[in-house]
Order: sequence, then structure tokens, then C-alpha cells
Amino acid sequence: MVFEQLTGNLFQGLVLGAVYGMATMGLSLIFGVLKVVNVGHGAFVMVGAFITFWLFSALGVNPIFAIPVAFVIGLGLGLFFYYTVIQRLIKAPELATLLATFSIGVLLQEVVKLIFGSEFRGYNWTVGKIDLGLTVLPVSKLLASLGSVGIAVLLYIWFNRTRAGSAMRSVVEDSEGARVCGVNVGAAYAWSFALGIGLTVTSGVLLTMFIPVGINPYMGGGYTLKAFVIAVLGGLSSPYGAFFGGLVFGLIENGSYTLFALLPGVEPFALTRFLSFLILLIILLIRPTGLLTRK
Amino acid sequence: MKNQVTKYYPMLPVLAAYAALFLIGRNMSGMWQLVAMLLFYCALGQAFNIFLGMTGYVDFGYVAFMGVGTYGMALAISRLAHIEGLGAGIIVIGFVLAVLMSTMLSIAVGAVALRLRGAYFAIATIGVNEGFRFLIEGARIWNGSEGIIFTAQLNQILGREAASALATFWADLFVLIIAVAAALVTLIYMRSKIGYALTALREDEDAAKVMGINVTKFKIIAFITSASFAGLVGASSWALKTPYVFPPEVFEIHYTIEAIIIVLLGGAGTLLGPLVGGLIYGISKYYLSIFIPGFQLLIFAPIIIVIIVVFPEGVVGMLKAKTRNTAAGRFIV
Repeated sequence: MVFEQLTGNLFQGLVLGAVYGMATMGLSLIFGVLKVVNVGHGAFVMVGAFITFWLFSALGVNPIFAIPVAFVIGLGLGLFFYYTVIQRLIKAPELATLLATFSIGVLLQEVVKLIFGSEFRGYNWTVGKIDLGLTVLPVSKLLASLGSVGIAVLLYIWFNRTRAGSAMRSVVEDSEGARVCGVNVGAAYAWSFALGIGLTVTSGVLLTMFIPVGINPYMGGGYTLKAFVIAVLGGLSSPYGAFFGGLVFGLIENGSYTLFALLPGVEPFALTRFLSFLILLIILLIRPTGLLTRK
Repeated sequence: MKNQVTKYYPMLPVLAAYAALFLIGRNMSGMWQLVAMLLFYCALGQAFNIFLGMTGYVDFGYVAFMGVGTYGMALAISRLAHIEGLGAGIIVIGFVLAVLMSTMLSIAVGAVALRLRGAYFAIATIGVNEGFRFLIEGARIWNGSEGIIFTAQLNQILGREAASALATFWADLFVLIIAVAAALVTLIYMRSKIGYALTALREDEDAAKVMGINVTKFKIIAFITSASFAGLVGASSWALKTPYVFPPEVFEIHYTIEAIIIVLLGGAGTLLGPLVGGLIYGISKYYLSIFIPGFQLLIFAPIIIVIIVVFPEGVVGMLKAKTRNTAAGRFIV
């Protein structure tokens, strides 16, 4: 019985994990190229969630079509914050970008709170369920998961088959070397930041499929923490590492929830959140370069 | 000997400012509530500045230390109330417990996080307050998510009148004392080996290491000092004023945000900075919350971004640069 439940939940974890992974690729991309940790990451996820919620409940737009809208808005936000803030801080001490991205996150939260208020919201997009025997999977979750895999594949192709993608990869390897070879490093920074934010806002669309009534201006905080655990699992500077980190994290989260629920006298949900923090500390301590990277 | 005294001249404006605050609060009717809030923000800033300002490391989980301090006081009062004859001594025990608990947590966190540099340190600390909150809720430590309510115990030990005086006057006075003590410790650190070592490590950690400075040791000193003051602030400004603690409230990330705003606004790494930042932030929050309740962060978030980009040294940092080599410069540190 427990075994069946665990298998079912682990499968669900894998489905969610793909979305988690996609939601962290932007964070890793930005860190890889610019060496900037986006501490306001979760706030951008929240923006994506609100775009989806607003399009669906005010205009009746199918969440699938919210994906391109969110991506374009994300690119715009990314370019805006890059040119107004981040560009001026690239050479400043690390403290400056950490505090700046943190403040950008707070700003986004407050703007969304001004527009939508701070109560929890949700929308109901029902497209049926699939019974897999061990577990029942809503089609919306399956679509979100497949969408995440699709976006990850597109990103891979873009990185490896286009000039702009190779330019970004060259900046990750050695920004001075890239500059010498004629790569416009400034443009690569700007577009990597924009692309990273675009991906993050898009992930907010996909994540709403998993939280029926969990859309709130402050929902991002939890995702920032999860994204850090996932990014660190994947080595922090590799978007693909982050994707696989997400799969691993989805398995850990759902697996540990099932096991904690068996213990008497504990709150399994809270313990799962504590565990993810513990994992973060342990990985940072024993292998800060990530578990999924080659030595 | 003269040198020994002049070293501590910068304490004079700090003491004068806190004395003025106290006198305004006591003598002008209706001002004590505002003064109490200002004292809280100044104390929080002074405590946070010892770590962020002096090391240049950001601790995004700072509120956890304040939360744990709050629990220290709450546990002392709720668990020891049945012992006869403790009287007001229970408050002292509460403060001791608050310092012990925040120190212990800071040692545990510091042991892991302080091995890491820059961005990795920030990542490690961002989950501390959430992580600790979920540990308390998840494992049902100290009543878990139900929290601790100790109004009855406090009234039973001190009597109703004394308990109310504690909440409306003494708790705020303790916060004032904590703020002054934190400022004094900041100055003592600045004027000693610790301060020079921290300045060296803030400017260039590798160079400091090569020069033979034990950077980890000094980072830990600053981290623990800062955390234990946060514990004291939590114990007095929260637990003694509102006799209940709930995990989501005392581990609210808002306090970390506010501490960052105060320190940056005033000037990170300066003695007067947290005081100036705390006053500016507190007064504007007070009046903003009258005109547009709940949206002070909407105004402060862009301000802080502008400060980081345009003048990262803050108000006091700018004043310090302007008054260098003048008589006033000896007091502005």
C-alpha cells in the first residue's frame, strides 16, 4: 500500500520536477553568463502566474496561449531591468547585485499587490484527467510538464545551433576570450538576462497548473528557495544541470512528503520544506559545484 | 591616554540622538508609540550593520535570529512561570535564553555558510528563516504552528499593571539600551583589530588572507555578535510587547527587508548609518502608513535600487566624505 502510494507520488514528483527544472533554467542562465544571482527570482515566477490568472479570468484566454505572452513580457522586463539597473552594477561588488535583484523582487511584489491585492487567487482550467492505475494525473499538469520539456529542448537547440547561442556559451566559458574573438559581450549580457527572465516568467504560467488557489503576490519566496536548491543541485551555472536538478528535486519533495506523512505527530508539508533547506546546506558544504556536474 | 578617549568621540552624537529620542517620547504626549517604533528600527539596523556593514556579506535569513530570540523570551516566561519567587528575574532569564539561542543558531548557520563566499553565502542564508520556521512547524517544536501565548503567565508573575507597564514602556527602553550597546560594540570593533581585519576582508578577501588575517575567525565574530543582538531585539521588541509568538509572524522576511533598507539608506559599515537610516525609514513608514497604508515598500524598493546604483555609500557615507579632515569629521564615523 505504502509502496504503491510512494510510486504514484514519485511519478507525480517527476511530472512536477520537469516544471521545477524549467523554472530554474533562467536563474542558472543568468548566473552562468553574468555571474549575478537573481535573488528576486521568485517574484518573476509570480508575475508569470498573475499573467496567466489575469488572461484566463478576465479575457478567457487558454493558459497555453499565456506562454508566449508571458515570455515576451519577461523579455521586456529583463531588458528593462538590465539596462536600468544590472548593467551599472556588473563591475560593482557582489553585494550590490544581490541587494539590487532582491529589491527588484520586492518592487514587483508590491506593484502586483497594488494592482491585484494580496489575497490568494486561482483559476479553474479543467481539461480532464488520466487514470494511470497508481495515480490520477490531470491533463493540465501533463501539458505543463511536456511544455517544460519542450522549452528545455528548444533552449538546447538554440544554444547549440545558433550564432547568438554560441556567443552566450562563449561568454560563460571566458568573457575576455569571447570579447577578443569579436563577441559583443555587452549584448550577450543583456540578452542572457532578458532570456533568463523570460524563461522564469514563462515558468510561472506552467506552475499555475499545480497550484489551484495559490496565486498571491508573495508566493515567489518559496520558489526562490526551491530554485536555489535546484540550481545548486545542478551546479548553479548550467541551465541543463538546473533542468535535471529540477527532476531530482521533484522526486525528493514528493518522496519525502509521502514518507514524512507516515511519521506520527509531525506536519509533513512543513518538514518537506525544511528538508529542502537542509539539502541546500549539505550540497553547498560538500560539493558547491553541484552534484550533477563533472569534476 | 588621550588617544584612548578621543577614539570614542563618535559615540557622542549616537548617545545624544538616543537621549533626544527618549526625551521627546517621554515629554511630548502621544509620541511614545512613534519613538518606540523608531527605536526598534534603529536597533535592528545597528545589529544588522555589524555583519552586513562590516563584512560586505548579505545575510538574507537575518530575521531568523530575531525570531529565535523571541522564542527564547517566550519559552522562559511560559515554561518557568510556575516557579515561585522569580518575579522580574524571569525577564533576565528570558534575555539570557534569547542570546543563547540566537548565538547557537548563528554558530550552526555560520559554521556552514561562512565557509562560502559572496553569492554562495547569500544562497545558503536565504533559506535560514524559512527553514527554521518549517522545522518548528513540521516537527512541532515549541507547540509548532500553534505558537506560544503567555499573557496569563506574564500577568500572574508581574501583576496586571506591571505587565502592562512592561509592554508599553520598559520593553521599549530595553530596545533603546540594546541599540546603544550595539552601537558601542560597533565602535569598539571599528577601533580594534577586528575592525581593521574586517575592512581588509571587505575590500579584498584574498589579499587579506595572504596577509595572514584569519578571515573566517573575524567573519564568525561579526556574524555571532550581529545575531545575538538580533535575538535581544526580538526578545524585547516582540515578546515583551505582544505576549504571543507564532512561527509565520516572527520569521516574517519583511524584517530582513527592512533591516537591509535601513542599513543601506544610512550607510553600510558606518556607526551613525543605522541610526540615520532607522529614523528616515521609521518616520516615513509612520506617515506613509497614515496616507497609503501597507504600501511603504512600494516606495522604498525603488529608492533602495537608486541608492545601490547611484550612491552606494548612503547618507552617512556621503556626510563622512564631505566632513573628512574637519572638526565635525571626528564625530561622524
